[in-house]
Amino acid sequence: MPRAAVIRFPGSNCEFETARALKNSGVDARIYNWNDIGKLSDARADAYVLPGGFSFQDRIRAGVIAAREEIMDLVFEEAMNGKPVLGICNGAQVLLESGLVPGWKPGSVQGALAGNLAPGRSGYLSGWIHLKAGPDAIQKCPWLCAMGTDSIPAPIAHAEGRFVFREEDMGKVGGHIGLTYCGVDGSAPQGWPENPNGSVLDIAGLMNSEGNVLAMMPHPERSLHLWQVPPDTPGHWGDLRRNSSLKDLEENPGPGAVIFKSLAKHLGVE
Amino acid sequence: MSRMPDREELRKVIASRGLAMTVEEAEKLSGYVDRMPTPLEFHLFDTMWSEHCSYKSSKPVLRTLPTDSPGVVIGPGEDAGVVSFCRHEGVEWDLVVAHESHNHPSQVLPVEGAATGVGGIVRDVYCMGARVTGSMDLLRFGDPEGSKGEITRGIVRGVVEGIWKYGNALGVPNMGGDTEFHPGYDDNCLVNVVAFGVVPHDRIVHSFVPEEAHKEPYVLILTGKPTDDTGFGGATFASADLDGEQGMGSVQVADPFLKRVLSEANQAVLDMLFEKGVKFGFKDLGAGGIACVTSELAAHGGLGIDVDLDAVPVSIKNLPPEVIACSETQERYGLAVPASVADDILAVYNEKFELPRLFPHCRAAVIGKFNSKPVYNVVCRGENAAETPINYITEGVVYQREESPVETKAQEPAERPCDPSSDLIKILTSVSGCSRKHIWSYYDSEVQGVTRLRPGEADSCVSVPVEGSRAGLAVSGDGNPWYGELDPFLGGAHAVGEAVRNVVATGATPMCATDCLNFGNPEDPEAFWQFKQAVAGIASACNALGFSGGNYPLPIVSGNVSFYNQSTGGKAIPPSPIVAVFGKIHDHRKATDIILRKEGNLVLLIGTRKDELGGSLFYRTCLKHRGGTVPVFRGSLEKKMADWVLGVIHDTRAYSVHDISGGGLAVAGAEMALASGKLGIEFSLDSNPVTLFSETPGYLVEVDPRFVEDVTLPEFVSVAGKVCSGCKVSGNGWSVDLGSLRGEWSDKLASIIWREEGF
Repeated sequence: MPRAAVIRFPGSNCEFETARALKNSGVDARIYNWNDIGKLSDARADAYVLPGGFSFQDRIRAGVIAAREEIMDLVFEEAMNGKPVLGICNGAQVLLESGLVPGWKPGSVQGALAGNLAPGRSGYLSGWIHLKAGPDAIQKCPWLCAMGTDSIPAPIAHAEGRFVFREEDMGKVGGHIGLTYCGVDGSAPQGWPENPNGSVLDIAGLMNSEGNVLAMMPHPERSLHLWQVPPDTPGHWGDLRRNSSLKDLEENPGPGAVIFKSLAKHLGVE
Repeated sequence: MSRMPDREELRKVIASRGLAMTVEEAEKLSGYVDRMPTPLEFHLFDTMWSEHCSYKSSKPVLRTLPTDSPGVVIGPGEDAGVVSFCRHEGVEWDLVVAHESHNHPSQVLPVEGAATGVGGIVRDVYCMGARVTGSMDLLRFGDPEGSKGEITRGIVRGVVEGIWKYGNALGVPNMGGDTEFHPGYDDNCLVNVVAFGVVPHDRIVHSFVPEEAHKEPYVLILTGKPTDDTGFGGATFASADLDGEQGMGSVQVADPFLKRVLSEANQAVLDMLFEKGVKFGFKDLGAGGIACVTSELAAHGGLGIDVDLDAVPVSIKNLPPEVIACSETQERYGLAVPASVADDILAVYNEKFELPRLFPHCRAAVIGKFNSKPVYNVVCRGENAAETPINYITEGVVYQREESPVETKAQEPAERPCDPSSDLIKILTSVSGCSRKHIWSYYDSEVQGVTRLRPGEADSCVSVPVEGSRAGLAVSGDGNPWYGELDPFLGGAHAVGEAVRNVVATGATPMCATDCLNFGNPEDPEAFWQFKQAVAGIASACNALGFSGGNYPLPIVSGNVSFYNQSTGGKAIPPSPIVAVFGKIHDHRKATDIILRKEGNLVLLIGTRKDELGGSLFYRTCLKHRGGTVPVFRGSLEKKMADWVLGVIHDTRAYSVHDISGGGLAVAGAEMALASGKLGIEFSLDSNPVTLFSETPGYLVEVDPRFVEDVTLPEFVSVAGKVCSGCKVSGNGWSVDLGSLRGEWSDKLASIIWREEGF
């Protein structure tokens, strides 16, 4: 069975459900502490996941201190070797701060996750939005390769989720779009709240050039099962959620499962 | 130090140290130690004998609450209550619940006060050995548009910010709660917090040094944030009237980051101790800090302790011994463990989890040794800072308070004009009747991946806390201040009743309850009478609403009393008993929400409407009338209704369920339509204020039309209408298009409270 490493920094808080989500898709998962460098190095995992949370209390900037932890050298090396690496929420912030995504100059910070921009409010926002895969993402990204072209609902919970880039780099960003926010029917978002944080180009997930590293703000590990979908969700997933039998409610995957199924598919799990 | 002090000397000490104890209490303390007490002894006893810690006024009354039921594992007395929850793959899982207030700190410093409220309550659950799987906040604020509106709005925003900044970082899903506004809270808001978690039955940890410590050497390890001077005198502050910004220095400073790391480190330590098979005690540091945790761990295990304050990691040098011992620095725990494993434990905190690297001066350290001499002995810089017979510390004090009834006469309005459409719109767009969505949108309700129903989707939030098990946990907290001020007994009874209904409406069977009793000054006979009345109301409702069979009540397993909720001007808050109920649904897949499912379905009314609109949203919002006859609490009917609704849900015949409470039947129906978005309800009932707006307890249940052919409806159930297409609600001669009202209903609260931030 392929193995994934979930890396816990001080202040991470989604490591358990993230490991559960991986196992659920047939990928063995183990949680490593930030200082388990030797153990992680020996393990040579097949994939790496940086879970959500508030690593190092978001001191200075979300993700910036974790990105400079020694354990990230190992993740960096593995990413450069083409191993799949996923950062969810705070994990995405760490990936941006480590220069792995967008990765134009690996190791140098080329983009940022800035504070949410929303009309009349600041700070944290929790809720469900809709997502779809970027144009090249399904081919390129091991975390999205099982995704269809339809939109899926997904939960978000963050205060700094707005992807921003230098103006001179904007022309290059398009090729890195892993996931975008969208309307229920997959159409471009009509502002807030469909794009919940003001992210440029409606980006919800950003890849490196090769596509093996994905930094995403939504939380697929919280929408693993159909029963986790809110009953008032619009569209296809909402209909499924409201009208399923008890058996289906328990056994059917939720919309977020596809992220982990993609990895399993990529790693050859039947 | 050898001479007994006289009253004048004691009075001086009390004044100069800002103590809350009486001269009589100080004399009692002097008698215990047979000399002038040390500063540390003064502060320690001042905390232990504060209302907050000793329940000195409330204890005799609290004894009247029912606490016994077959599922109860640990009732009131320890840091949290414990009930048995479910069995999964051979493991017995228990539910751990705690409930307390952080009212005064939140009024003075809303962000920090609310944050430490969450921080304190989760510690109570963690220290029973449990993983915390949810928290809930029950908030009472003044009138945001009243004479003190600007201050109130700032407090609301601050409290919400404190809750999200702390709870989200900690990684504990927020399971909602409720928010009420009443001008009686203008000078004294209420922030009641609930936390809960699960633990395998054989891994419950107690907050006292174990018996084994009589035979082998045990030491006390202090872990967590380095001690500073924050929160010095916090329990005393909680036990006095609130005056302006006084007491700011008594508010603690919370650190959810450190708490999160500590929680994982604690789990690793507990795992190790269970693996080694050693017995140990574990307790969080709250009121009274090191002094309380060391003395209580020892005293409740029948031992004495030597505490070395020089071994305490501090972040400020040269603090006086009484400050090191009694400050309420957050994010600390004490462990009573065999000396032989101390080094292994220190290694987990200080090396594996690197506490010293993550926070300046933070580390776990051995600070005390238990011994068989029953003395509480504290040394600091080579001097004795305390030397007290230990049993006196935990013995406590009790006062019998005077009571005097408050006369209130049910004053009905002279006339009751009613235009159903415009009245319903008025209610739904009032600050009391509008959606609380904006508040929840700041809270992370889904971290841990165990959330089944979020705030706003159902009458209570539901989670699935034991991995792999189908057992669902439903929680709701309630308490209506408008009932409380008209009739404290009914305020208490309906707090239980409404929380029970909210849990039942999701299909969960109530297992236990917790209460937080928020009142004015207990030395005021009228305030004390209100307190007694409310407790009697809670007891009466709990006795009527037991679901464990036999004559067992719904047990109160944990709780808190918060007195002195009044400004120094003497205006007390409305009597505010707040009750949380915890229910279990064996199969979470059957859990019901409030979202209407199918056009043509029938909507059943459970609970015949009565003319009892006192304190109702209709009277308050539409008639601007605050009096009237509060709904009667009909215990046996309430139980029958709950049993019937649970039966329908368990037979999977209920499509959606919503309880009827604030705003009555019309508002309940409108809320179902608003939550659904695409469907509504056509009521086929009389359009009078009693039918539409009376808050007689009840439920609305959506069923298939065939249901009424298959099932004989009991006398308290009738067909009230049917599900129609379109987000609307209507009745004979009236109709409200809720689709166009939805934006206002949903944003109203933000447009009032967050206006200063540009909403």
